[in-house]
Amino acid sequence: MATTRIPEQKVILCGEYGVGKSSIFRRFANNTFVTRSDRQSTLGLDHYDKIYKVENKNIKLQLWDTGGMERVASITSSYYKFAEAAILVFSLDNPASFHVLSQHLLDIVTYAENAKIFLCGNKEDLVNNVSQVSESEIESFCEQCHNLINTTYKTSCKTGVGIDEMFEDIAYQLVQSNRSRIELQSMDSSSFKIVGPAENFDDDSCLC
Amino acid sequence: MDEEYDAIVLGTGLKECILSGMLSVSGKKVLHIDRNKYYGGESASICPLEELFTKFSAPAPDESYGRGRDWNVDLIPKFLMANGQLVKLLIHTGVTRYLEFKSVEGSYVYKGGKISKVPVDQKEALASDLMGMFEKRRFRNFLIYVQDFQSDDPKTWKDFDPNTANMQGLYDKFGLDRNTQDFTGHALALYRDDDYLLQPAIQTITRIKLYSDSLARYGKSPYLYPMYGLGELPQGFARLSAIYGGTYMLDKPIDEIVVGEGGRVVGVRSGTEVAKCKQVYCDPSYVQDKVRKKGQVIRCICLVDHPIPNTKDALSTQIIIPQKQVSRNSDIYVSLVSYTHQVAAKGWFIAMISTTVETENPEVEIKPGLDLLGPIRQKFVSISDYYEPIDSGLESQIFISESYDATSHFETTCLDVLDIFKRGTGEEFDFSKIKHELGDEEQ
Repeated sequence: MATTRIPEQKVILCGEYGVGKSSIFRRFANNTFVTRSDRQSTLGLDHYDKIYKVENKNIKLQLWDTGGMERVASITSSYYKFAEAAILVFSLDNPASFHVLSQHLLDIVTYAENAKIFLCGNKEDLVNNVSQVSESEIESFCEQCHNLINTTYKTSCKTGVGIDEMFEDIAYQLVQSNRSRIELQSMDSSSFKIVGPAENFDDDSCLC
Repeated sequence: MDEEYDAIVLGTGLKECILSGMLSVSGKKVLHIDRNKYYGGESASICPLEELFTKFSAPAPDESYGRGRDWNVDLIPKFLMANGQLVKLLIHTGVTRYLEFKSVEGSYVYKGGKISKVPVDQKEALASDLMGMFEKRRFRNFLIYVQDFQSDDPKTWKDFDPNTANMQGLYDKFGLDRNTQDFTGHALALYRDDDYLLQPAIQTITRIKLYSDSLARYGKSPYLYPMYGLGELPQGFARLSAIYGGTYMLDKPIDEIVVGEGGRVVGVRSGTEVAKCKQVYCDPSYVQDKVRKKGQVIRCICLVDHPIPNTKDALSTQIIIPQKQVSRNSDIYVSLVSYTHQVAAKGWFIAMISTTVETENPEVEIKPGLDLLGPIRQKFVSISDYYEPIDSGLESQIFISESYDATSHFETTCLDVLDIFKRGTGEEFDFSKIKHELGDEEQ
C-alpha cells in the first residue's frame, strides 16, 4: 500500500438494461465479446482497473458495472458514490433507451455530483449508418441538459470499434480536469479502505 | 416475479442484505424484495434532511442546516469494531471494496456526571482520572494479565482457570473496585448488563482483547464508521448478492407468505403474482404473526452544531454510560458523527442516544445522555419495539432476524446473521466460495 500510488478514478456505467454496459465492461477488462446478452453474462462482473498513460503520467481507470440491479429494481445510491466519471450508455438501435437517459442523468447528478458525464451510443454495428437516434436528437439532448455531457462517443462492442478511443479520451479528460485534485488526493488519507490481513481470519472457529 | 427461487429474502435491512449476499455467493438462486422504494429498511441513512424532518412530522429545516442533500442520517446508530465480526465479513466477502471508513476519534465512559477517556493500555491506565492512585496500579496489572493471556497456554492463566471461574472471581483476584469493574465490563468488554460477572471469565477476557486488538488496528479508538453513513453497508451487500446473480425488486408490497403442506413455505405473493421458493428469510416486519415482542429500544437523534463538550472537539465519539452509574439495568450509548463522514452539512454533527427501555417514561431515561451534549438544535425521538422470532424456522423454512438492539456496535447483528445462515443452510458460511477475481466464471 505504501508504494507510489497511481491515482484511481472510479468510472461508472449507467443506462437501461440491455444497452451493452456489461459488453463495454468486458471489452475494457479483457477485450472479449459475448453474443448472448442474457442475465448470465453479467454475473460476477464487479469492477476492473486499467492503467492509462496520459502525458507521461499514469492514471488508473476503475470501471464499474451495475451488477444487473437495474433490471427490475433501481441501482443502489452507493454505486454512484466516489465516482469521478459516469458513462451514460444507450443503444443506437433502440430509441427508447435514449429517451430515458434524462432519468439516469438525474441519478448521476444527485448521487455523484462531481462526476464528469460522458455519453456513449453503443451497438453502432447494428445500424449501418441509419441510426435510430439521429445526430440532432443527440445534440439537442446535450443542450437540454445544460452541457453536463462532456463528450459523445459511438461504439460497437461486437466489433470493438470506438471502445479504446473512448476510454483513452476519458482518461485524458480526467487528467486535465483533476490535475490538481489528483495530487491532493495522494496526500489525503483521512478515510481509508479496510484491507486484510485476511490470513488472520482464516481460522473458521472465529466466525461461529 | 413468476419464477422459482431457492430463497426469497424480504426487506433490505443490513441483516437481510448480508444473508442475501451469502446465499447468492453459495450458489442459491435468490429473489430479494423490499416493500419500500429504497434500499436499507431500518438500516437506511435518511437523505435529504427534509425527509428526516417529514418522517418525524417536524416543520422543514431552515437554511442554517445547509444543503439537505449533504445529510445522510442513520436511524439506528452503531459503529463497527475494527477487529469485529462485521469487518471480518466485509473483508471475506470483498464488500469492503465498496466502502470507505474513518476511525472514530474518541471513546469515553461516564462516571459521576462527567466523562473520561476509556483507558485501554498501561500508560492510559496510569494517566486516567477514573481511578485513584492505588486502583490504577491494580487496573494496570489486570490489563497486563489480559494482554499476556493466551487461551491455549495455561501458563499465562496465572493459577486461575478462566473456563470455570467467573469474571467476578478474576476482578477479585486483582482487587478491582466496583467502579473499575463497571467501566471494564461496559466500556471495554462492551456488555450491556451485569450478567457476565457470573459467566466464565474467558468470555470477558476475549472481549477485552477484541477491544484492544481493534484499537491497535487503526489507532484512536476501536470503532470505525463508513463514509456517507451506515446505509452504505446494506447496499454493499446487496451489490454482492446482485453480482452473484441475486434479483432485486423494490417498491413491491408483500401480501402473503404462502405456506403449503406441513406448514412449509412454498412462495411469496404480491397482488396476483406468486414467486415460488423453498425458503424465506425476512425481518420481523414481514411476519408479524411469527414474532414476539421482547422489549423496546429508545433512540434519540440530535442535530447539533458543535462537538460534544469535554471530548477535545472530537469529530466522532462514542460515550458509554454504564448502567450502575445512573441506577439502571442497561447501559446508555451516545454516539457522535459529523460532516467529516459526509453525513451532515459543513459544521454539523449528529449525536444519537440509545438504550433499552426500562420505564414508562423512556425520554427521561436518556436524560443523562442528553445532558452531555450541550445545546441541541433539533431532537427526534423514536421508540421501537424489539422483536424476536417465536421459533427457529426449521419447520416452516421461514427464517426471521431479530430487530436491531440498542448495542452500539454490530457484534450481535453478525452473530444473528451467521446463526440464521447456519439454520437455513445447515452449514457454516464457506468464505472460500467467494471469487475475488473478475472473470473466474469465464475460464
